[in-house]
Amino acid sequence: MTDSKYFTTTKKGEIFELKAELNSDKKEKKKEAVKKVIASMTVGKDVSALFPDVVNCMQTDNLELKKLVYLYLMNYAKSQPDMAIMAVNTFVKDCEDPNPLIRALAVRTMGCIRVDKITEYLCEPLRKCLKDEDPYVRKTAAVCVAKLHDINAQLVEDQGFLDTLKDLISDSNPMVVANAVAALSEIAESHPSSNLLDLNPQSINKLLTALNECTEWGQIFILDCLANYTPKDDREAQSICERVTPRLSHANSAVVLSAVKVLMKFMEMLSKDLDYYGTLLKKLAPPLVTLLSAEPELQYVALRNINLIVQKRPEILKHEMKVFFVKYNDPIYVKLEKLDIMIRLASQANIAQVLAELKEYATEVDVDFVRKAVRAIGRCAIKVEQSAERCVSTLLDLIQTKVNYVVQEAIVVIKDIFRKYPNKYESVIATLCENLDSLDEPEARAAMIWIVGEYAERIDNADELLESFLEGFHDESTQVQLQLLTAIVKLFLKKPTETQELVQQVLSLATQDSDNPDLRDRGYIYWRLLSTDPVAAKEVVLAEKPLISEETDLIEPTLLDELICYIGTLASVYHKPPSAFVEGGRGVVHKSLPPRTASSESAESPETAPTGAPPGEQPDVIPAQGDLLGDLLNLDLGPPVSGPPLATSSVQMGAVDLLGGGLDSLIGGTNFVAPPTAAVPANLGAPIGSGLSDLFDLTSGVGTLSGSYVAPKAVWLPAMKAKGLEISGTFTRQVGSISMDLQLTNKALQVMTDFAIQFNRNSFGLAPAAPLQVHAPLSPNQTVEISLPLSTVGSVMKMEPLNNLQVAVKNNIDVFYFSTLYPLHILFVEDGKMDRQMFLATWKDIPNENEAQFQIRDCPLNAEAASSKLQSSNIFTVAKRNVEGQDMLYQSLKLTNGIWVLAELRIQPGNPSCTLSLKCRAPEVSQHVYQAYETILKN
Amino acid sequence: MISQFFILSSKGDPLIYKDFRGDSGGRDVAELFYRKLTGLPGDESPVVMVTSGGKRHHDGRHFIHIRHSSLYLVVTTSENVSPFSLLELLSRLATLLGDYCGSLGEGTISRNVALVYELLDEVLDYGYVQTTSTEMLRNFIQTEAVVSKPFSLFDLSSVGLFGAETQQSKVAPSSAASRPVLSSRSDQSQKNEVFLDVVERLSVLIASNGSLLKVDVQGEIRLKSFLPSGSEMRIGLTEEFCVGKSELRGYGPGIRVDEVSFHSSVNLDEFESHRILRLQPPQGELTVMRYQLSDDLPSPLPFRLFPSVQWDRGSGRTTLEPKPRPVSLNVRLHLPLPRGVVSLSQELSSPEQKAELADGALRWDLPQVQGGSQLSGLFQMDVPGPPGPPSHGLSTSASPLGLGPASLSFELPRHTCSGLQVRFLRLAFRPCGNANPHKWVRHLSHSDAYVIRI
Repeated sequence: MTDSKYFTTTKKGEIFELKAELNSDKKEKKKEAVKKVIASMTVGKDVSALFPDVVNCMQTDNLELKKLVYLYLMNYAKSQPDMAIMAVNTFVKDCEDPNPLIRALAVRTMGCIRVDKITEYLCEPLRKCLKDEDPYVRKTAAVCVAKLHDINAQLVEDQGFLDTLKDLISDSNPMVVANAVAALSEIAESHPSSNLLDLNPQSINKLLTALNECTEWGQIFILDCLANYTPKDDREAQSICERVTPRLSHANSAVVLSAVKVLMKFMEMLSKDLDYYGTLLKKLAPPLVTLLSAEPELQYVALRNINLIVQKRPEILKHEMKVFFVKYNDPIYVKLEKLDIMIRLASQANIAQVLAELKEYATEVDVDFVRKAVRAIGRCAIKVEQSAERCVSTLLDLIQTKVNYVVQEAIVVIKDIFRKYPNKYESVIATLCENLDSLDEPEARAAMIWIVGEYAERIDNADELLESFLEGFHDESTQVQLQLLTAIVKLFLKKPTETQELVQQVLSLATQDSDNPDLRDRGYIYWRLLSTDPVAAKEVVLAEKPLISEETDLIEPTLLDELICYIGTLASVYHKPPSAFVEGGRGVVHKSLPPRTASSESAESPETAPTGAPPGEQPDVIPAQGDLLGDLLNLDLGPPVSGPPLATSSVQMGAVDLLGGGLDSLIGGTNFVAPPTAAVPANLGAPIGSGLSDLFDLTSGVGTLSGSYVAPKAVWLPAMKAKGLEISGTFTRQVGSISMDLQLTNKALQVMTDFAIQFNRNSFGLAPAAPLQVHAPLSPNQTVEISLPLSTVGSVMKMEPLNNLQVAVKNNIDVFYFSTLYPLHILFVEDGKMDRQMFLATWKDIPNENEAQFQIRDCPLNAEAASSKLQSSNIFTVAKRNVEGQDMLYQSLKLTNGIWVLAELRIQPGNPSCTLSLKCRAPEVSQHVYQAYETILKN
Repeated sequence: MISQFFILSSKGDPLIYKDFRGDSGGRDVAELFYRKLTGLPGDESPVVMVTSGGKRHHDGRHFIHIRHSSLYLVVTTSENVSPFSLLELLSRLATLLGDYCGSLGEGTISRNVALVYELLDEVLDYGYVQTTSTEMLRNFIQTEAVVSKPFSLFDLSSVGLFGAETQQSKVAPSSAASRPVLSSRSDQSQKNEVFLDVVERLSVLIASNGSLLKVDVQGEIRLKSFLPSGSEMRIGLTEEFCVGKSELRGYGPGIRVDEVSFHSSVNLDEFESHRILRLQPPQGELTVMRYQLSDDLPSPLPFRLFPSVQWDRGSGRTTLEPKPRPVSLNVRLHLPLPRGVVSLSQELSSPEQKAELADGALRWDLPQVQGGSQLSGLFQMDVPGPPGPPSHGLSTSASPLGLGPASLSFELPRHTCSGLQVRFLRLAFRPCGNANPHKWVRHLSHSDAYVIRI
């Protein structure tokens, strides 16, 4: 049975026939009927009248039929929104189907039905599908978020889908990661100021890992995403380059070009003296050359890109001239591109080869191509000075062929050569003049007239030649008329005696008989000049001309740099920035190449290194982030609040969290090294709380006790975002009290006073226990260190991530907002030791699904050392066992809000990784406790 | 991201139309594309086109298309996406549709509309490419291909690359190539066949003095498998095969290529030691290996051409001397002539050759050329008009404008210019109950651009 009969002519009753078939009892018949409907739909027939009948077929367990019905729905739901709602129930039901194919199909189709009403029904199924166990469903759901965002962006934000999408970047399935990256990139493009896809070394690492496992198409998404990242120094740039380089040998040209884009961009940060720089240059050439053996369409696109690359870094392809030689069977558009690149690569070393080629091209059949080849010879002459003479003689050879268009083209370029090398090749003028009669194109005529006028004193019959042009003055194009006017005036100034009549003739033709204002004006100017002051006229008209520049057709450097960032996209084919051809606000964020930052610098000034976001990337402090805004409006900061308070995550640090890198990235991952500033008292001689009494029981044999771990201070609020106020800080816990150690630096030019601080509601009710006390006004360049005691009795609201803290700081200038993450171990209280029986009972009592297991790598501590280290941060070892050579530590801790966390730490002697199992009634804290563990054990 | 995808027939009728994003102006975009394409000036590239002016809805829409089997496969986008990925996608889609529908053509597409839409839905979601692997898609595709007619062993009309080659002793049924790779699951009688082709494209540029300016060879090993996917096979290549400039293998000069790239499914464990490629190919077509070499060809060029031109009356003699290769097929010499040449008289060395004037060029067809032979043709023509160089008394060596360069097109069956051979193709697969799988291995070189300047 074939589908071809579906295309037979439309009879009147066709719709009715289909209707009957759709309502048939037989499954096969139904299926055939839906196929017919779809075939009609494709050829443009209106089958929307069948909507209810088709929707009736939807409730079937036949996947093939279901798919067909869904296909129909996607097409017509827009025009029949009310009917589409009828289908919603089935969709919602299908989203729970045991078959993952059906779940994915349902969520995919719902996203494609672009009807506003359907969106509210979509949210719940979508939320489930985003967490589905099947990666096929998850990857479909990830794309669906982008679809929904396009229909109703606000809804997506309100429902928290963006956060779920961000979580998917760490998914175990590379396909899911790729789709999540693609969806986030697109959503981020429509909110240029949001930090949706804020990239940092951790997330980059994840992406690079996913890169190796992805399908080729996923690799493209990821590479394009990487290209938007700015490494903090040349070392990081190099390490990313090293991991991207293998993609250059991929069979898919899109992967290759995306990799080339990343490399070209990051190369900007590498020093040219580096060995690696040279290696990279060598590696870039072969893949580009390989692209030229693809089909012509790809070749063309590749050549347009190579044209950019060659302008930016000619050294990459300087030895590959031969591959750009034109093949006779190349399409014309490929030929012209190759020609252009040949000129750009032309140098003294290869000019002989290039000229020989160009001369061959100039004798080919295709007129357009021959013209371009002749022009190319002229461009060579101008570009490579040593070759000028050879070029001129080649052009003369071509003029000898007497082929009309070759001669004309040659004369046009010889004029340029005269401009570039004055008084060198005038001997050829005689040959040019022989061809005067055959010139019929305005450009060639104008060029010839210019030559005659310029060298009038060397051409005996210059006046006759120009006079011959003058006869048909009014039939010439403007270009020729203007040139003729100037040439005759030049001639008059050089040979005034014989040409008076001629000049008067041309002046009157230009001023009285012409209605072209340009021509008339120029005529009058000359006329007045000549009649008032002939000497001045001579100085003006015969003034020395500036030499023409070497390559007038080079792309302007700033545009070129921008285009390099867009290698492998349409922009690189049009040679225009995307803003010139993409509609609306999408994708028009200006991109620029990263500035060169050496790692040595960053080592010397650790303070500035992490803030190394290039200027211009985050130009303003106030991106519109609706959800944060709402919360912060609750803040009470006293009278001087002016303007709408808006918040943003402050630095790259803050941005880390958004990608789910979490706490470890904040503390363990950042590479800048600052010695821990706030040392915690080594001896606890002071009063010890009752809860601490157990402490010495366990640790008596262990060495010094050094209090809870304190992370080095990180910049929370960079000066550029806070009108000169830079805030860095960290959190400490000493003897039962939490404090926030702040360092305020005034980088502005005015004195700062009236400091105040306020926290937004947060997960653990952290709040300042005392006002921010800055005793003296902070003068420019002054830094002050403050320890702000914190209490945990503030109002509570669950934050995402859990340990997120939004802070507002006020001074006499303005109010500033930033958010930071606090390490969870500052919340571990001193009386967190559980007794053994209690521990056992609680452990059994907490359901198993609340157990979370983590690996702590690279932590070569023995049980004893680990135990004492953890104890100093109020993680107490309740019991210790040795099972099959492994040390098991059973530990407990309590948070300020009374939540108990039980832990089992398994340490294997000789193995640097240990396993941590956490049980807690509030499982969402486990992740953060694990991070605290890791931080403490590694420091 | 991709906004729309459509397939147009050679006459511009839409066969398939799919809108992924709903941001387009509707299906008349297809018509707009066709109008724009047919009205494009000669020196503008048709690869990437943008609409401007015209109706408001279609402004800033970019078209990217390829032509395949006389169909236009077109995608449109309104964003700054990678044209490379779109072009790659289109050619993958062409392969996929071929795999699923049997062959790509107007008839097969319109017979399989539902299947094509189903495929498109899995390949592209919201304009993001999901996968183009035949193997992966098998899990999702429900619809079965509708095949036009039963296979016939006697139908040798369409001879494709994977089809029969009449000159060879073994003749593969041509319909094998145009049968859906994924034909109905119930069909157990399906043949177990593997086609392996080593295809090389040769481009050569020879200067008028006979010196070689440029040679390069682009080769690929292509596989079309009808075996159940996952069955392992081993392909043994010539052991002297070396990659890169420095490597040396074997005693002789070896077979050297500059660059090699492999399909991602190829296991290279035995490549270094024995030059064996191991792979478990999915059903369908795939390019196992691609390679290229330039400048340094191990074997002599397959043809030499000695053109001589005399300009008194405009006569020329062309001698073609093929090197001792078995046979070359469909040799054609193409020589552009100066404008205005109308008459031609010829003396050819054998009667089965043909020479004629077409589109301002001389075409000399030699259907079959034996290796080691020498063939010559003498052509005389009148060049009208004054712009002939002889009238100026210039040296006769200066080639007149518009004559040449001569280009040759040919096919060399059972020959590879690089010397690369497939030593063996072994299948680990044991078919259950069926006869041994058929294996077809072929070597073929053909010309890409073989140009001799005059």
